[in-house]
Amino acid sequence: MKRKNLTRYILLYLASALFLVVFIGPFLWLVSSSLQLERQLVKVPIVWLPDPLSLASYKEIFMGAFFDEAVVSSHKISSSYQSRIYLGSFLNSGIIAFSVSFFSVVFGAYAAYPIARLNFRGRYTLLFSILVVRLVPALALAIPIVLFAKKMGMNDNLVTLILINMSFVLPYTIWLLQAYFKTIPTELEDAARMDGCNRFQVANKIIIPLSIPGLTTAGILAFLLSWGEFLFALLITETEQSFTSTVVAAMFANDVDVNYVTIIAAGVLAVIPPVIFALFFQKYIISGLLSGAVKN
Amino acid sequence: MGAFGQNALSTMTKNPSSEIPQGRLALIFSAPALLILAVTVLVPLAYAIYLSFHRYNLKRAKRPFAGFRNYEKILTDDKFWDSLATSFIFAVSAVAVITVVAFFLALLLNQDFAGRGILRALLLIPWAIPDVVNALLWKWLLHPAFGVMNALFQMGGIIDQYVAWLTTMPSAMIWVIIAYSWKNIPLATLLILAGLQTIPKTLLEAAELEGANAWKRTQYITLPLLRPTLTVVLIFETIFALKVFDIIYVLTSGGPGKSTTVLGWSIYINTFKKLDFGTGSALAMILGLLTLFIAIVFYAFLDRGEKQ
Amino acid sequence: MMKKWLTIAALALVGWAAPMPAQATDVELTGWPYQVDVVRENLERFSSQSGLSATFNPFPSNEYHTKMVSSFASGTNFDVVYVRDSFLAEWAAAGWIVPLTGLPGVDEYMSDLPQGIIDQMSFEGEVYGLPYYSGNSVFVYNDRLMKQAGLNAPASTWNELMKQAQTMKDKGVMASPIVIGLAANENSILRTLEIVAAGFGGRFFNDQLEPVFQEPNSGARKALAWIADGIESGLINQASMSQGDGEIDQFMRSGTAAFSLVTDYEMKVLNDSEQSNEAGNIMNSLVPGSSDATSGTIGYVRLYSITSEANKTRAWELVKFLGGKDATGVYYVPKRWALEFGLGFSPAPLYKDEDVRNSISGWIDPDLLQEQAKYAINRGYRFVPYFSDWEIEAWAGFQEIINGGDADSILEELAENWNELKSEY
Repeated sequence: MKRKNLTRYILLYLASALFLVVFIGPFLWLVSSSLQLERQLVKVPIVWLPDPLSLASYKEIFMGAFFDEAVVSSHKISSSYQSRIYLGSFLNSGIIAFSVSFFSVVFGAYAAYPIARLNFRGRYTLLFSILVVRLVPALALAIPIVLFAKKMGMNDNLVTLILINMSFVLPYTIWLLQAYFKTIPTELEDAARMDGCNRFQVANKIIIPLSIPGLTTAGILAFLLSWGEFLFALLITETEQSFTSTVVAAMFANDVDVNYVTIIAAGVLAVIPPVIFALFFQKYIISGLLSGAVKN
Repeated sequence: MGAFGQNALSTMTKNPSSEIPQGRLALIFSAPALLILAVTVLVPLAYAIYLSFHRYNLKRAKRPFAGFRNYEKILTDDKFWDSLATSFIFAVSAVAVITVVAFFLALLLNQDFAGRGILRALLLIPWAIPDVVNALLWKWLLHPAFGVMNALFQMGGIIDQYVAWLTTMPSAMIWVIIAYSWKNIPLATLLILAGLQTIPKTLLEAAELEGANAWKRTQYITLPLLRPTLTVVLIFETIFALKVFDIIYVLTSGGPGKSTTVLGWSIYINTFKKLDFGTGSALAMILGLLTLFIAIVFYAFLDRGEKQ
Repeated sequence: MMKKWLTIAALALVGWAAPMPAQATDVELTGWPYQVDVVRENLERFSSQSGLSATFNPFPSNEYHTKMVSSFASGTNFDVVYVRDSFLAEWAAAGWIVPLTGLPGVDEYMSDLPQGIIDQMSFEGEVYGLPYYSGNSVFVYNDRLMKQAGLNAPASTWNELMKQAQTMKDKGVMASPIVIGLAANENSILRTLEIVAAGFGGRFFNDQLEPVFQEPNSGARKALAWIADGIESGLINQASMSQGDGEIDQFMRSGTAAFSLVTDYEMKVLNDSEQSNEAGNIMNSLVPGSSDATSGTIGYVRLYSITSEANKTRAWELVKFLGGKDATGVYYVPKRWALEFGLGFSPAPLYKDEDVRNSISGWIDPDLLQEQAKYAINRGYRFVPYFSDWEIEAWAGFQEIINGGDADSILEELAENWNELKSEY
């Protein structure tokens, strides 16, 4: 028996090591590349560890964001327009991602509740038609959406982006939440209704409080999807007041002189907010999913 | 459901003998979500459908009604069937890779051992990487001259010389599938992990006592009980994969030749490069209908699972 | 938990509800984000000279076309926009940019520009802007690696180049010395093929806009065969098939390639010790030719165009300042780009300017550059609205041929495709 346990642990840790190499290795390599000098990045044979460790790109982005030109140049760094506005654009992306995750969880929960709990004709039709709206590629809807946003004077507006992102996220939120709600024992609901609660009260007082883990899970999914959205951010935003992080990140690539280290550093930075967000709520994700979120 | 429910709700309605029909109640509950979906998707969708029935190229002043001619042109073009096949090869492989890897990863993370929590947390990293950054990451890893994959494979003796992975087939397709799956595995893993947690431990233990080996237990207990979860994973992943665009855009631009030209890329080319919105929209409608058909097949599958 | 979320959402609401300052400017410039600060400095100078306020708003470079197309299609008003010559015909045909015809002083500026540049800014006989920067593709080689292989002079024909590459391989200097842009995008495979074909004395289309690339023994076929052989023998790096214009830089900068075709302005980065491991070793010479032609290259222009009649007078003031002379009567902005950033220029007076000559000779041979420009081929066929429809199919077709596909049938199909498009428009 002991021997069997030992083999089991060896196998488990071997598998874990493989997992780490495959899923974390690529990202670590990106981080390492972002700490190199531009000319070392294009060196053959490959430079395995950055030497000297160069923080130049990060300095450029951070100092450019928080100090004015004079201070920055006194540190012998030249900050470009893109690096100056990059961190500021995180705020726009953050506002969008927060709002999308909040509103899609709230609206999604109310839409998911009847699908999970009520018995009406067309339940599955509703569930599937919600999914169907996402079947046509966003690319094909891009021009019509931009056209309507423009007609309604809502281009270059974060609210527009929040609405668009919600339409991407809502179907998935509703699907996840309806599955989650099904795992909550019906006895609780029946008892509440016996006490005179109507459906809205049941949803508000029983289902939603009991589903905090599920709601958080859906919220994180929503945050991650809308943080990284690029196409509509590109098409809707028009000024630096509303550029999102993905749009500014794309500006680091240039026709004339491409600085790859800065592009890579910008990519690394773009990953940090969603990771922090997800890690912060991670205990809810796991417990949320662990309670059987997708069990029908 | 039943008498209690009706009593409770009857206080809300004027006519004590009936409650709000559940269908209408459902509509009230889902109104905000449906409204947003309608405004942001249905209205543009209607316009895209309108475009698909017109000869609509921005470079031309005349944009006459064309009936089904755009559709006819697409369906009689070999290029469409080629890219449809490419889309299917991509989607089937990616969904298979994602589901299988996620399944085994979930089994691993479902075991009880020290460090499991850290692994679960780290799983978030690939998931949190924006699509565009993911594509750049893989382009950099696979760089023909400075890519770490080349350096590693050469050290491991797998290749003699650096290889330009994205310029030949089938390696271009394989790497696109790997890069795509890498980013999409974590979500699938978390969903399956959640499903695994709902399988009663006692059931597995009982089977073990009766002498069923690990494979048999997986085959006869875990997999059947996971069916609802796997169905959801399959539906989500198939929809995502059939619409793939970002990773193709950055890694291969549909090449070498047309070997990785999936439908998503064709739609982009027609809409944004040729400015032919008519054909682009018609292609999108065809892809949409196709995905709908697949979703209905899954629907039947899910429905059957529900009834059992 | 819920309360926390509500607070966050409330804060977010306040964030985007805050009014954004609306600025009314006399004239707006829209482009891609190359040296935004310098552009804005230039605009300040414009404002102080003209009394007109001006702003610059950049969009991502690689997605500039996508962004602008969707903006134009949804009716956004711009004043002055950057245009790449590859979009010119399309944007002009769609009516998104307007010709300069009839504006005061246009003829005077045209007299300072070479005909080749004017052609590349024209659509259906009318000129659509003034150049931002312009130039040619040039042939570059790594002098250090050449010497290491015992080679003294750069090749003057494509076949000689292949022999030099073979020598390098034999001497163990490098297995795949040639890297050229063969990726399937706007600045790569077709441009490269056009340049190589020009060296073999051929073009893709004749002056009547008829395809000639499919004809037996055409320059295009020779170019394709030369490249396919090189890829097969490995002397042309297989990586070329996925590399675009800016990306091949990296190979020259790292010394992993000895020969390449690049855009002239890239010479500055290649010889910049901050970014390049081979700074000082990268030289340019005439693009190789053959027994049929001495050399050949293709030019490019990035231009400033006016987007509508509405604000045309003010927009023209800005275009004149940016692409032409400022109030003091000198080509201020083009000269600044050339001096400080190495961007190519076209107005004749700048070629004679001592400052400019001294400055650019730090990274490129100015006489050779001017000499190379003489071999630029006429690409009138590029300036028809259906060219972009055709080329996107052509990129994939040419890649297939290089990868061993059947040249006859693919070329024939591409020629048919062109003729169909031509008759449709």
